[in-house]
Amino acid sequence: MAEQKLIHLKINDRDVQVPQGTLLIEATRRFGTEVPSFCYYPGLSLQAACRMCLVEIEKAPKLQTACTVIATEGMIVRTDTEQVRNARKYMLEFLLTNHPLDCPVCDKGGECELQDMVFRYGADTSRFVEEKIHRPEEKWSELVYYDAPRCILCFRCVRVCDEGMDVKALGVGMRGANSVIIPNREDHLECEECGMCIDICPVGALTSGTYRYKTRPWEMQYVSTVCTHCSNGCKTTLSVRNHEILRSNNRDLSGINKDFLCVKGRFGFDFTKHAERIRQPLVRKGEKLYPVSWEEAAQMAATKLKAIYDANGKDSIGFIGSNHTSNEENYLLQRLARTTFGTNNIDHHRTVDYTGLVTALGDRAADSLLTMEQLYQSKAVLLIGNDPTNQNPLVGWQIRSGIRHFGTKLFIINAKEIKLKRKAAQFVKIAAGQGLAAFKWLAHEEGELATELVEQLVQLKAALEAESDVAIVFGAEVTGATIAQVVAFGSKLPGKTRYMALGDYANSRGAADMGILADRLPGYAYVDDARTREAFERLWGGVIPSKPGLTVPQMVEAAQNGKLKALYVVGANPFAHFGTLGYGRGKLDLLIVHEMFLTETAKVADIVFPAASAYEKDGTVTNTSGEIQLLHKAAEVMGPRSDFDLLRILSHQLEKLGLGKAFHYKTPASVFEEIRKAVPGYNVLAAGLLTGGAEATRVQFARNGHAPYDVPVGLIRSAEDTLFTSGTLGRFCTMMESVPEAKAKP
Amino acid sequence: MELTAQLSAKFELLQNRYPVKRSALIPMMMYAQDEYGCVSDEMIAEIGQRLDLNNVQIEETLAYYSMLHRKPLGKHHVQICTNVACVLKGGNELLERAKKRLEIGHKEVTNDGVFSLEEVECIGACTGAPAMQVNYDFYENLTSVRFDRIIEDLDAGRRPEPEKVISGALHERHPAETPLISRRWGIKDSRKIDVFLQHEGYRGLEKALKEMTPDGIIDEVKKSNLRGRGGAGFPTGMKWFFVPKDSPKPKYVICNADESEPGTCKDRPLMEMDPHQLIEGMVIAGRAIGSHQGFIYIRGEYRYVLDIVDAAIAEAYSHGYLGKNILGTGFDFDLLIHTGAGAYECGEESALMESLEGKRGYPRIKPPFPAVVGLYGCPTIINNVETLSAVPSIILEGGEAYANRGTPKNGGTRMLCIAGHINKPGIYEVPLGMNMKKFIYEVAGGIPGNKKIKAVIPGGSSCPLLTGEEIDIAMDYDAVAKAGSMLGSGGMVVMDEDTCMVDMARRIMHFYAHESCGWCIPCREGTTWLRKILERFHAGLGRPEDIDIIADLAKNMLGRTFCPLGDAAAMPTISIMKKWRGEFEEHLKGRCAYKSAESQVGSR
Repeated sequence: MAEQKLIHLKINDRDVQVPQGTLLIEATRRFGTEVPSFCYYPGLSLQAACRMCLVEIEKAPKLQTACTVIATEGMIVRTDTEQVRNARKYMLEFLLTNHPLDCPVCDKGGECELQDMVFRYGADTSRFVEEKIHRPEEKWSELVYYDAPRCILCFRCVRVCDEGMDVKALGVGMRGANSVIIPNREDHLECEECGMCIDICPVGALTSGTYRYKTRPWEMQYVSTVCTHCSNGCKTTLSVRNHEILRSNNRDLSGINKDFLCVKGRFGFDFTKHAERIRQPLVRKGEKLYPVSWEEAAQMAATKLKAIYDANGKDSIGFIGSNHTSNEENYLLQRLARTTFGTNNIDHHRTVDYTGLVTALGDRAADSLLTMEQLYQSKAVLLIGNDPTNQNPLVGWQIRSGIRHFGTKLFIINAKEIKLKRKAAQFVKIAAGQGLAAFKWLAHEEGELATELVEQLVQLKAALEAESDVAIVFGAEVTGATIAQVVAFGSKLPGKTRYMALGDYANSRGAADMGILADRLPGYAYVDDARTREAFERLWGGVIPSKPGLTVPQMVEAAQNGKLKALYVVGANPFAHFGTLGYGRGKLDLLIVHEMFLTETAKVADIVFPAASAYEKDGTVTNTSGEIQLLHKAAEVMGPRSDFDLLRILSHQLEKLGLGKAFHYKTPASVFEEIRKAVPGYNVLAAGLLTGGAEATRVQFARNGHAPYDVPVGLIRSAEDTLFTSGTLGRFCTMMESVPEAKAKP
Repeated sequence: MELTAQLSAKFELLQNRYPVKRSALIPMMMYAQDEYGCVSDEMIAEIGQRLDLNNVQIEETLAYYSMLHRKPLGKHHVQICTNVACVLKGGNELLERAKKRLEIGHKEVTNDGVFSLEEVECIGACTGAPAMQVNYDFYENLTSVRFDRIIEDLDAGRRPEPEKVISGALHERHPAETPLISRRWGIKDSRKIDVFLQHEGYRGLEKALKEMTPDGIIDEVKKSNLRGRGGAGFPTGMKWFFVPKDSPKPKYVICNADESEPGTCKDRPLMEMDPHQLIEGMVIAGRAIGSHQGFIYIRGEYRYVLDIVDAAIAEAYSHGYLGKNILGTGFDFDLLIHTGAGAYECGEESALMESLEGKRGYPRIKPPFPAVVGLYGCPTIINNVETLSAVPSIILEGGEAYANRGTPKNGGTRMLCIAGHINKPGIYEVPLGMNMKKFIYEVAGGIPGNKKIKAVIPGGSSCPLLTGEEIDIAMDYDAVAKAGSMLGSGGMVVMDEDTCMVDMARRIMHFYAHESCGWCIPCREGTTWLRKILERFHAGLGRPEDIDIIADLAKNMLGRTFCPLGDAAAMPTISIMKKWRGEFEEHLKGRCAYKSAESQVGSR
C-alpha cells in the first residue's frame, strides 16, 4: 500500500496526526475523544442529519458536523466547549420530545445509544409539556417489528438495507416530525429478513421477533462463537440466559463479518431447544427406537462394531463425517476410522471441490487462497457459478462492500441470472456444463465456442488482465479438471490472483482439511504418501491403509448391495442426500448415528447418540476461505453430548474390547494443539484465535506425482441452500421457517 | 394497468426525456393523479415498471410531497391559503366559510366526491390575498360572496374564470419604479415570441453568442453586481465562475422556479408575462458555463404557468433559440420544464436537485457545492427566475449600466411584492437601495385606514421582522442586513397596529413545521415543538415560562440545522420574541387586544 500522507491537527489542544482523508469524527475517536453521533455509521453514506457531532472548528462561523468535515492541515478543533456541550444537550432535548421514554419496557433499555447519550450529554429535566406524536407498533414480519415513536430517524436501517444489502426494502414515509420508516409492502416487509436493520438501530425502534420482551440485556451472558449454518464463518455473539440462547447478533462488530449476519445467523438458533431434539441415546428394538442409558448404548455400539470388524474385516465398516462438527471431532473420527478400524472408508458430503482446488494449486496453495478480508479489498472479483446472496451471504456482503468502498469490479460467469448481476461490470451467461470449455478457452484460447461467447470472454479476459489483483471465487459447478483450467487461467493473469471455493455448511472446509476424505490424510496428503502416513502412525499408533477407501456415494451404494456391513455416521444424513438408490439402510448389519434430530438416516439406525450442536460445544471450525475460529459453548441442553465426548467414550469402550487405543484428550483444545503440530497449514497463532480473531490456514501441499483429477459425477453436491434453508438444522429453526419468504422457495 | 391514450403519451414523453429515468417519477405521479384523482397501487406498479423502481422507492417519494395523494381527492379540490399574507386579509375566515359551505373539514372529501378541502401553505398569490386554488385554478381577492359564487358554479358544472395573471402585477407604474425585467408586462400577448421579438427579445442572446466569449459573459455578469434573487443574495457571476471548465461531465443549468417563500409571488408574473426572457437568460447562462441542457423546476401549484412556459419553450425551439446550432453559432442548448409536487424545502438548491432526480427533497451535504457536484453528480448552476430573467438585460445594456441602477455591490433592480395591510398590494420593480418607508408609503400607497405599521416582513417569512420604527432604511442586501434582517426573496408583508404578533409567530411556525423535511433533529423536532407551544399559547393556555422557552428553543435551532430551513424558522421567531415580548405577556393575562382575537379561547 502506498504510504499515506499524514495530516497534523489539534484536537482539544492535543497535537495529533491522522492519514489524509480522515473524517474529523474518526480522527477524534482515534485519540480517545468521543464525539457522539447517531446517524454516522462507518461504511455507510454520510448524512449529517442527527447534528450530535457538532464541534467547534477555529475560523468556522458556526459549529460544524465532525462526520462530514475532513481533517485538514493545521485545523484546530474543540469538542469540549460550553457551546458544543449546549448543542448536544439541546439536540437531545429536541430528540426526546416525541420519544415515548418507555425505557422500562423497551428491549433496548440498557444497551440503547439514546439512553447512553442522554445519560452522558443530556439535560436533567425536560421542558416539553405538549402532546407527543403517537403511533401504534407495527409488525412487519415474524422477525421484524417497528415502533415509530421510538424511532429517532437516523436512517441507518434504510441505508444498510439499500447500500449494504442491496435489498432496498425500507424507505421514509411522510415528512417533518411525522416522518416514519416504511416497509416495502405497505404494512409488511418482503425482503431477505437479514435483520441488519434491527441490529443497526441505535434505539428500540426496530426489534426482533425472536427476542422482544423476553429479557433485559444485563440479565444475559454474551458468548462469542461462530455461526453454525453456512460455510462463511460469521462470528456471532449469542446472548444467553439460564443456558438458553435468546438472541444472536454481532454488535461488537468483530470478526471477519464485522457488522454482517444473515437471517440464519441472526434468527436460526432456536433449533437448540426444539421439541424434537433427541435427548437420550436410542436403540433399535424391532421396528422402533427406544431410549436407553448411556452405558448401554455405548457398550452396545462398541461390542457390535468389534463383532463386525472381527467377522468381516477392516473394510466392512464405513465412516461418514460431518460438515458442521468441529475440526477436533473430524480429526478424531478419521483417526478412529484409519487407525482403530484400519480403513480409509471415511468421507463426508462434499459440497465443493476443495481438494480439487488444493490439488490444482499444488505448492502454490499456501499463498493463493483468498481470505474474506482479501475478498473485500480485491480490485476485481471473478465469480464463477454459485449464488452468494443465497448460498454464501457473507461472500455476497464482502463483494458488495468492496464495490461500495473501493470500487471493486465484479465479473460473473453463471448459468443463472443471480442477484449480484446488478452490481456486475460484466455478466457472462454460460450454459451449465459449458464451464470446462470456456475455461479451456480462457486459459489457452483453445476449443470451439460460439462466437458470441468468445467475444464476451475476450472482453472479460482483457478486463481481468488490467487488474493488479483478482479474486477468483467459484461454487460447486466448478470441479476437478475445470478447476485446473481456472487455475491455469488465473496463473496467466499479470496481477496477483487468489482463489476461494464456496462450500456449504459451517465446517465443510474443516472436514476436508481434517482428512474426512477417502483418499487424503489431514492436510490433503494422499494416503499413498508413505512419509506422511508414517508420521501419523507414529502419532496415533496403528497402521493406516495406503489404498483409498469408499466415498460417501460409494458407501451408500455398498450399504445397499451388502458390501458394507456397518456404517458409522456423525452429523450427516447420507440416506437423504445420496438416496438415488432409494431411502433406507440397505443390507447394513449395523448403523450408528450421532444426531440432533431423527433425520432420514437416524430413523433407520440401530443406535442413535444425541449430539450437541455447535452452539453447545467448544472447539474450532474452518470456514470456506480456510480461516479458523474458536467455537465457544453457549447453550446447555440437557441430554446431548458433543461428538468429541461421544468419540472419546467409544474409543475407551473399544480399547476395553481390545480394539485400538483410547483417546486421552481432556478437552477439544488439547486435540487442537495436536492438529496445530500435525496438520500442515494449521500451525496458526493461538493468540489470534484466543482474542476472538480468525486465523488463515496456509495449506501446504505437494502433489507427489499425482495429477489433477476429474471427480466422479455426484461426488460434489451443492446443498443448494437458500437464505432460509440450512440442511437438517434449518428444518428445525422455527422462527426462520415462519417468514413467508422461507416458504416461497425458489 | 390500462392507461388513457393521453396519459400513456405523456408517460412515454416523460420517461424518455431525462438523463436519468427516475427524474420522471414526480411529474408522472402528478399527471397520473390529475387524471385519476390519486396515485393508486396499480399506478405505483405501472410507474415502477416503467422507471425500474421498486414500491418503497415510489411510496417514499410520493409521501414526501404534499400535493400527491394515495386516496382520491374531490373532483374540485379547494385549497385555501392561510399563510401570513392571506391570514392578514381573512384567510382563516375564508377557511371557516368553506368548511361550513362544503360541510367538510381539512383534508376531507364530500360524500358525493365532488369537493375536497385543504388548508394549504402559501400558494404564491400574496398580492391577491385572500386566495385559493381549485385544482390548478387561482382565485384571488376573495370575498364571501365571490367564494360562494365560485362554489355554486363548480357545483353546477361550470368552471369560473380563474385569474388570468396574478393580481397586483399590472398597475399604473409609479414614477419611482424602474421597470427593466418587468418592462414587457402589460403589453398585449407579451408571452408570445413574436411580441417578445419586437421588444428586444433574444437580442441579449444574439449578442452573447455572436460577440462574446463564455468568460466574457461571466465577466459581464460579475460587473453587473447581480446577486441571487431567490433569497440568499450570492453574487451570480461568482457562482457561474466556480463551475469547473475542464470537467468531462455534462453541465447543467437549473432555473429555480419553486417560488414558495411565504409572501413571495414575483417569479409567477415573470414567467406568466415574459417566459421568453427567462429562456433567453438560461441559454446565455448555458453558454457561459458550457452547458447544453437546462431545467426549469417549477412548483407544482403553478401548473398553468408551467403550461405557459412550456408553450414558450416550444416556440423558442421552432424559432431556433433552443435546440441545435442556435442562431447558426454552433451552440446547442436544450431546455425542459419540470413540475414540483408541493414542498417548500425543494426551493433549497440541493433539495431541488434531489427532487429533480425523482427522490424525496432532502438537502445534500455541502461542500461539494452544486457548481462542482450538482444534478446527477455533474457541475450545475442553479439560479432563481428573477436572477436569470435579469441576464438578457445585463448582456444588452452592459454589466456596468445594470449595476448602476442599484447601489454599490447591489446591482440592478429588484422585484418586490408587497402584501398584507397595504393599500396597493402588488409587484413592483424598483432600484435596489430604495428606501423601504418610501416604498411602503409612496409606491405601495401606505396603510389602509392610515393605521400605524406594527411590523414588516422585509423579504419572505424567513426574515427577522422589522418594527414600524425600523423601516427607514435602504432596501439593498447590505443595508437590510445591517438593520438585523434580510432582503430575502423580495416578499414583503406589512402588518398594521392591530395585528396580533402571537398569532403571527404561531402562523409562521405552523408553516415551517409543515414544511420541515424531517432530515435533521433540531429542525424536525424544534419546529413542531415550537408550533405546539405557540398554538397553545395563542389559544390562551400559555404559561409564563413558555415565553423564555420559545425564545430559547429558536436560538437552539439557529445555526445548528442541516440546511437553512431551521434558521428560517428560528429567525422570525427570535425577532418577534425580542420585539413584541410584551404581547406575549398580555396574552398570559387572558387578553389579546388585536384582530385575530376571535380564535382566543380565554385564560386558564
